[in-house]
This record gives sequence, structure tokens and C-alpha cells, in this order.
Amino acid sequence: MTPPEIRISAEPVDIGRCKFLVSEPVHAGGVRRFASPEEAKGSPLVEAIFAIPGADVAEVIVSGGLVTVAKRSPTPWQVVGKAVGQAIRAALASGRPAVAAKLATSGGGGADDDALYERVADLFEHQVNPMVARHGGRVELIDVQDAVVMLRLGGGCQGCGMADVTLRQGIEAMLHEHVPDVKGVVDITDHAAGSNPYFAAAKK
Amino acid sequence: MPCPYGTAIPHRSMPRLLLLLPTATYRAAAFVEAARRLSVDLTVASEQPSTFAQAQPDRLLTLDFRLPEQAAAQARAFAEQVPVHGVVGVDDDTAVVAAAVAAKLRLRGNPVGAATAARDKYRQRVLLAEARVPVPRFARHRTTEDPHAVAAAARYPCVLKPLRLAASRGVIRADDPAGLVAAFGRLRAILEEPDVARCGDWAGQVLVEDFIPGPEVALEGLVTGGRLRTLALFDKPDPLDGPFFEETIYVTPSALPANAQQKIADCAQQAVTALGLWEGPVHAELRYNDRGPWLIELAARPIGGRCSGALRFGSREQGAGSSWVSLEEVVLRNALGMPLPALERERLASGVMMIPVPRGGVLREVRGLAEARAVPLVEEVAITAHPGQTLVPWPEGSRYPGFIFARGETPEAVVAALREAHRRLEFVLA
Repeated sequence: MTPPEIRISAEPVDIGRCKFLVSEPVHAGGVRRFASPEEAKGSPLVEAIFAIPGADVAEVIVSGGLVTVAKRSPTPWQVVGKAVGQAIRAALASGRPAVAAKLATSGGGGADDDALYERVADLFEHQVNPMVARHGGRVELIDVQDAVVMLRLGGGCQGCGMADVTLRQGIEAMLHEHVPDVKGVVDITDHAAGSNPYFAAAKK
Repeated sequence: MPCPYGTAIPHRSMPRLLLLLPTATYRAAAFVEAARRLSVDLTVASEQPSTFAQAQPDRLLTLDFRLPEQAAAQARAFAEQVPVHGVVGVDDDTAVVAAAVAAKLRLRGNPVGAATAARDKYRQRVLLAEARVPVPRFARHRTTEDPHAVAAAARYPCVLKPLRLAASRGVIRADDPAGLVAAFGRLRAILEEPDVARCGDWAGQVLVEDFIPGPEVALEGLVTGGRLRTLALFDKPDPLDGPFFEETIYVTPSALPANAQQKIADCAQQAVTALGLWEGPVHAELRYNDRGPWLIELAARPIGGRCSGALRFGSREQGAGSSWVSLEEVVLRNALGMPLPALERERLASGVMMIPVPRGGVLREVRGLAEARAVPLVEEVAITAHPGQTLVPWPEGSRYPGFIFARGETPEAVVAALREAHRRLEFVLA
């Protein structure tokens, strides 16, 4: 039986960050974030991405069929993206797990992350989501890893022209105030797929 | 010539910037990211309230951008509680509000009259013509006038324009009286649309000006102390000869001879001086022919849409190539009185295509994205229209469905890559 064709679509967010949408699941065990080659050990796909020459990869986040890569180098995504695509195809073709399962206490921050997760989830449920619901939006907490919150925006927030303002001036500020141990926020939303953004952009 | 509002106020280690962001902007991400890179405290003001406005009153503000003086008074009341050290507007309307706020808070900025003149195409032409800046011959008419009388008084070919709409919305060329009458009616219909008609008296007026032949360029610049520094000069390889003026490709560096580029920069500087602009970004559209440069328009704001992604500058601190400074970062630094980077654009040629609206209809999907992104030199294909969005062609429309970016050794290679990527895209409309 011929394996299914793997389709990969790259969506650069900016010069430093790009999302790769893969037609096959890359990692089904929730979200995993890797901030260094050392953290990537045991996850062949992530090891390969960190090893891309000249890319100076800073972070890899894998969730389902979405691989988000952040890099420090000015090398364009048109170049780095091809290497990432090759790494994804090779990892999926190997038959082995592309990304290792998350250990309960991995990185020494597991228990802390679990506690943070509960606090962030509570904040999202009781304060953040009621606010964004006024614009038909919602915020989904995906995971907390090493005190970094990974979230996904939906509804009116997905693809909204002001999503970054909501994220940085609203959600991130609320986290800073109420859960100060949170070190960062990563938005893994596929904004291009948003079909009902609250604010749509027009050239001016 | 002294700065109209004094020098920038000395600030703490974390200055606060008031960023005026209309909710329909493409530029939220770029400006918010620039503020983060600079580690400045940020307050975002929009014309509609954020859902977090009450929870984060220091960070989010609501201002009526239609009333600059009232907005400035609100900003002053805000600044009495939360000190503000710089203000930036990102489009034509907020550029005027930013000027009013700057005047009220004694921050770096343009005089209100200068920003207002830059926004109004008629007022701008009057001032430029008085200062002998080369501009097309122009006349202003009310939409209630008899178009046949307007047609009888015009020279041909000519161009009809609204006084304030952006992105060439409503701009139509007429080659003869019959064409002018038709264009007049079409533009009047645009100006009578509810979102435009309620904007003020200018929506009842039309500018008719000579069509200037020749290639068009766009100059991106930064004005400091009244002196214009050219950041980039873009060629527009697709002729903008009408009948409508939807933009497509911008590519830099310009292929024009050095002396022509210098004349263009000099012309833009004349316009800056004539309008009285003093501080901040400018985006100018000029034509160049055997009579030299012609100033078509000059706006007191940075380049529109997501086109600023085509520009990046070397960082003085870290050395060119190891880190890039965005146009937004340059603009914020200037507004806050922070040291500016070298302002030297990267060595590579760079271009952006504003993807044309293929035809009117509701967008269902865009095919060929992976193929377009695979074109050598193409760095990004950003589809900004969302599924279900109605695409409206020019001259009624003003929203591009997306942007393609490319970089390469030569402008020709960049343009070819942009065209090839565009060719691979298919917009499925209902």
C-alpha cells in the first residue's frame, strides 16, 4: 500500500517565525515545545530542525499537524523552510515517533508547569474568555511548558487584524498581573484559516 | 527652524509610546512587535474599544479618530495619569490625530496643519503649487455639479480622485468628456456609500487633475527636524496608466539613474518643506518624465498595507546582516527620540506584490500557496483576505487579498519571482 502523500504548507509569521501545516499528524500527544537542541534529544524531527545549517533555530513547537519554528538567522524562510519540510518528511517516513512523548516531570518544570496550567486555565475561563467573547472570540489554553503558555485563538479572534493587540496588550498583560510566573506566551493559531475575524484589515 | 513642539521629553528607562492603531489596520502585528523589540511600554489607542480596555486601562485606550482635537484632549487626560513619551499614527487619519496629540503633550511630531494638509489631496496640491513644487494642474469640484460642465472645463487625459480615500480607491482616468462624465458618476457613487459619505464635507468633492505620463515611483522616507531622509525608492514596474490605479509590484532599489533619483528626492524634500512636515515617516508617490519629477501625493505616514515587510535596515548596534531593524522600529525610535540605526537598507533587492483582486466575488479558498511559496527568492505569501470575504475590484474596492514578498540579487529577478508566485495562485470565488 502506498503511503499517503504528505503535504506541507509553510506560513511565515515574520522573518523569525514560521508555521508549517502538515497534512499528517506529526505528534498526537498534545503540544511540545523545545527551546534548545538539548531539549530536542530523543525527538528525531526536532533534532533535525535544530541541526539545519545556518538557520540558528531558537524554538520548535509541535502540536498535531502543526510545526512552528522560530529562528534567529536572517536566512529567508524560502531557504530554511525547504530544510524543515525535508526534516518533517524524513521523520514521518521513518516509522518512528517524530517527537518523544512528554514526560510527566520533564525538564524539571513539569510539576510547576502543571500548577501554572491550572492557574492559567482558571484565568482564561473566568476572566479572559468572557472578555474576548464580546467580540465572538475565544482563547484556548493548549499547554504550559517551561512556564511558557501556548494558546490558540478562535472565533472572532482568529485572523482578526487586532489579534496581536489582544494577545500582547490584553491576554499577556492579564497573565503578567495574575500569574506572574509565566515567562512567555506563544500563539499557535492558524490565523489564515480564520473565516470570521472581528476586525478585517484594509490598506491605508 | 526650531522644532514646533520642542525636543523630546527626557524619559525613564522604559518610555511609553501611544500607538494610534485603527481597527482596520494591517500593521498591528508589525508595530506591536517593534515596540516589544524596543522594550518600550505600549498603549494602543483605537477608534473602537478593545474587549480588554477596562481590564488594562494603561495599555488600551479608545479615541475618536474623526475628531483629532477631542482625541488629543483625551490623550492628555490619559497622559496625566500615565506619562506618554511618544505618539505614532499609522495611517492618514491617525497621522493627523498623532499631530494633535503631539502638540497637546509637547511630543515629537508634525504641526497639525501640516498633517492635515498632507491628508487632503486638494489642500496638499494648493500648498505644493504655491511653493512651486511640480504637481499636476488640478481643479476641485463638488459632486453636485453638472458633470458635463466639469468635462467641458477639463484637459485630457485627466484623473478624477476623491480628496481623502486611500489605496487609490475611487481614482479613475478619463480620456475624453464622455469618459469624464462616466467616471464622475462612478466616483460620486463611491463617495455616496455610507462608510464614506458620513466622513465629512470632503466626501462631497472631487479632484480633477492632469494625467502625468511616465513611470511612477514611491519614496519611503523619514523626516527629522524638517529634513527628509530617503529610506527607499521603489519602482512600480507595472505601468499605472489607468483607467484604475490598483497597485501591484513595488521593487527597490530603483532602476532610475542616480541623477533622476536625486531629483525625485529633492522634489519630495520640497514637498515636505512646503507642507511644513517636521517629524516622522512619509510616503510619497511621484512620476518621472522628460520634464523631471512630479509630486503626485505625499502622506505623513509609513507605507501602507503590509508592504513595509519589504524593507529592513542594518542595525548599527549589531552590524548589518546579523540583525535587521524594521521600518516600524525606525518610526517608533524616532517618535521616542531614541537613537536611530544606520537607516541603510539591506544590500539585496526587495519587492512586494499587492495581489490584485482577480474579480468581484466571495472568497472561498486560495489554491497553489505551497507552489507559490516554493518559487525561488519568494520569502512570503501572505493571504490577508479571509474565507467568506467579499473581494471588490478597483475603483470601488481598496482591499488587496494578500501580499507576496521576495528578495534577490537584482530587482529584475525579484520582479520575476513575484510574478511567477502570483501566477501559481488560484483564487476560488463564489
